[in-house]
Amino acid sequence: MRMEHWWFTVPLRLRSILRRGRVEQELDEELQFHLELKIDEGIASGLPPDEARYAAMRAMGGLEQRKEEMRDMRRIHWLTDFVDDVRYAIRSLRRASGLTGFVVITLALGIGMTAATFSMVDALIFRPYPVPYPSSVVSLVSTSHDNSFDNFSYREYLDIRGKTKSYDGVIANGVIGPVGFSLEPGAMPRVKGGLLVSGNYFQVLGVEPQLGRGFREDEDGVPGRDAVVVLGKDFWKHELASDPSVIGKIIRLNGTDFTVIGVAPETFPGMQVFARPDFFMPLAMARVFSTNPNKNYFEDRDDRELSVKARLKSDTTLEQARSELAVLAQDFKREHPQFNRNRGASVLTQFEIRTRGDDVNWKFGVIFSILALAVLLVACTNVAGLLLARASTRTREIAVRLALGAGRFRLIRMLLTESLILACLGGLAGIAVGYVAIGLLRTFSIPTTLPVTIPFQMDTRVLLASLALSLVSALLCGLAPALQSTRTDLVTGLKSADVDLPGRRRLWGRNVLVVAQVATSLMLLTASFLMFRGFQHSLVDGTGFAKVAKDHVLMASFDPRLMKYDAARTQQFYRLLGERVREAPGVQSAAFTQNPPLGLGDFDRIAFVPDGFQMSPDRENFTTTMDTIDEGYFATMGIPIVSGRGFLKSDTRDSPRVAIVNEQFANHYWPGADAVGKHFRLESRAGTPVEIVGVAQTIKYESTGERRTDFVYMPLTQHPVARMVLLLRSSGDPLQLLEPLKDVVRTLDPNLPMLEMRTYDDLYRYAAVEGPGVAINLAGTMGAMALLLAIAGLYGLVAYNVTRRTREIGIRMALGAGPSDVLRLVMSKGLVLVGIGSVIGLAMGFAVEQLMNSMLFNAGGVDIVAYFIVVPTMFLVTMLAAYIPARRASRIAPTEALRYE
Amino acid sequence: MSKPNDLVQGTLDVLLLKILALEPLHGWAISRRLKSLSGDVLQVSEGSLYPALHKLEQEGWITAEWKQTENNRRAKFYSLTRLGRRQLESESANWHLLSSAISRVIRMSEA
Repeated sequence: MRMEHWWFTVPLRLRSILRRGRVEQELDEELQFHLELKIDEGIASGLPPDEARYAAMRAMGGLEQRKEEMRDMRRIHWLTDFVDDVRYAIRSLRRASGLTGFVVITLALGIGMTAATFSMVDALIFRPYPVPYPSSVVSLVSTSHDNSFDNFSYREYLDIRGKTKSYDGVIANGVIGPVGFSLEPGAMPRVKGGLLVSGNYFQVLGVEPQLGRGFREDEDGVPGRDAVVVLGKDFWKHELASDPSVIGKIIRLNGTDFTVIGVAPETFPGMQVFARPDFFMPLAMARVFSTNPNKNYFEDRDDRELSVKARLKSDTTLEQARSELAVLAQDFKREHPQFNRNRGASVLTQFEIRTRGDDVNWKFGVIFSILALAVLLVACTNVAGLLLARASTRTREIAVRLALGAGRFRLIRMLLTESLILACLGGLAGIAVGYVAIGLLRTFSIPTTLPVTIPFQMDTRVLLASLALSLVSALLCGLAPALQSTRTDLVTGLKSADVDLPGRRRLWGRNVLVVAQVATSLMLLTASFLMFRGFQHSLVDGTGFAKVAKDHVLMASFDPRLMKYDAARTQQFYRLLGERVREAPGVQSAAFTQNPPLGLGDFDRIAFVPDGFQMSPDRENFTTTMDTIDEGYFATMGIPIVSGRGFLKSDTRDSPRVAIVNEQFANHYWPGADAVGKHFRLESRAGTPVEIVGVAQTIKYESTGERRTDFVYMPLTQHPVARMVLLLRSSGDPLQLLEPLKDVVRTLDPNLPMLEMRTYDDLYRYAAVEGPGVAINLAGTMGAMALLLAIAGLYGLVAYNVTRRTREIGIRMALGAGPSDVLRLVMSKGLVLVGIGSVIGLAMGFAVEQLMNSMLFNAGGVDIVAYFIVVPTMFLVTMLAAYIPARRASRIAPTEALRYE
Repeated sequence: MSKPNDLVQGTLDVLLLKILALEPLHGWAISRRLKSLSGDVLQVSEGSLYPALHKLEQEGWITAEWKQTENNRRAKFYSLTRLGRRQLESESANWHLLSSAISRVIRMSEA
């Protein structure tokens, strides 16, 4: 029945919409036909033609009303009305093209900045894992005093996998790390990024390789047995030209032959935000890729290197999984107390992992979202102010419409359609702005040979978000003016062309806008100014060494395991390499480090117990970041030793263990005393004692934005590491050392690859110039935009208000007021508004500063300078905005002003 | 919308459907037919006839066609659709039900 009903009615509705003119014409014709017959009937009954006509009209009861009734019957008036509104809006917007242009540009900037920021936040935080049913994938973390998001060891992973029942599968992966790749045995290996994953990785994630197969469970069973590899999609595409016959071929990774069994699908770039693995290898092959030959990865329960994820069963809640894992963590504690003191475990969703408090992406996301939304808010208040001003020039038009019987709701709809069109135009232009802005965000380069991409993009999610923003801004900008202008008092509205009503409400709305605008832009300015200064400050403090090092230091990394060197031969190689390069021409000094400061690698962590420090009894040890270096390090990098000594040639494998700590470490554990000569023990209270022989200046280690952190240096001779970075210092251009270095390496082993050869300047630029530069530029752009929008908006509003009072000013001057009285009158009100706005803005700015300090810089106190610069600027702008029109008004001859409308 | 004052709401629809069930007619003829059929008891203002027809058409119960009248003038002729016929049947069944119920009530109160 229902379907059949539609069968008849849908074509009728369509006809009413599409052939509107024809339907109307038929209506006319039909009624006309009836009318004529009726008149004929009247004439036939003896009435004169005129009377017959009147009688017929009376009997019909008003033709136009009938027509209107029938139009309503068609139930499409909402649509035809909308089309009418759109037509009307386009016409009236075109008439005010200057205003339209300004509004569209303003909205475009607001929406564009927000879209760009959202693309960033989306990529860093919201975008789900690129797997089927991503929401059921949870992260399992080990928790301790120092780290609430710790990884698990291989043994622990196996226990979790065997003993939990909440999951359809538990997977593990290492961190993406450098892998030496070559196609043929003799070829020089190149560095690519590889990821160790558990055998069930692809199967549990539901990722089906586009070629070949994923791992079988048993391929991850026996350490070192199954050398198989799944290729990343980008690697396959770019390095192997999408070779379809790659399955079954042999490639060499770190000198070991691996059989290619599959290629990851196009849709799966990996689970990380930035890193895109070139290879996926089974965990059981970890030996081939380990950086530390001393560690027994498969046995040591405290070698926590695996990030563990799991797919939650559909009938299990997160709480159930959490309590199950908590029980398991208790078991760990009981069975292996030495490795699990004060350790727990938890299950977190993707969102919880990405929004953890110490995550720098999250902090940036939050801060920039706030800034972007504030820019959008300023843009919207701007537009609302303009529309309000415009609406009051239409008082008479609206009054006429109301008088003719237009409903208030109908008029509001008409006005909202106008702002909707404005918002759509603004949204389209905003998407263009966002596109450009995202392009700029993507341009900065990360100096690494590892496969890293900047995942910001203008995708459907960003487009949808921008669209939603446009709609919201249409409502925000349009509703207030629409409500206000339809509240017109008919009599006054009709009488005067364009006059403010004496009512306070109307003025109140505009005043609120001015205050809101001053406040929001003040907050934005403060925030961006603080960010600017915060970054500047973070670039100065603790990076002094880098400003010299960047012009004189060349770096090259070595990993002799790529050529199957054993541990002893590796250390022999480094000793010889160090000796020979120091004699090479142009080399002032040379040094080894595991990871240069501000480099891209992660520092190892060291567990220690400081002598003489009151450690709570439930604590096993402290941990902090560390680096392994040789005796040339401090001189080569230009990092001052504050007291004690650097490492010496006499610190050998057989001499007593020594270490150097930074000032922060020394003050932390031995406040007020000299740390030199003190000891700490490795791992536990009963561990090997290590003597502190020197204290080095605290510098920035991982990023310029970090807080002052404890740091320990260990000598390479006593703490052998396989993969090291050679640092060479020249007196001039460091690139001149490249050829001499290559010569030296060739004499030692012509096949050994030198990885990541670059100047320290590359690292420094990324860490201290380009990376923070993006943030500084973004903050600066937003601040500048806020200021610009605020100036334009304020000027518009204040100037408009003053212009509206021209007649009043004329009267005042005719009654004897001088120009200065007029100026005072006009400006005092503007200043009061700016004053109120500033107070609110300062309060908000202060709140933002607290937030930013707690999240990024930890600078502590209030940045007074920022306020001293920002507040007067805002005052000046508003005074100008009030002054210029006020001055113009005070110059008008009273006669003219009185006639002014 | 303006309602025929002296008609139970909805009755006009049934009347129109019933009239058109006999033969296709144009508006003027329908109004004549209404008058002659119901005499002075049911009076339909001529103005409200067209909105009612229009509504029936939009519901898909009747359909319209432009044809020549016997006087060689173009007029819009309405005729019943299959849907309309079914509607008429159910409406008249309802009407019988309602009117017999009402007359029972009235008889009861007289007794």
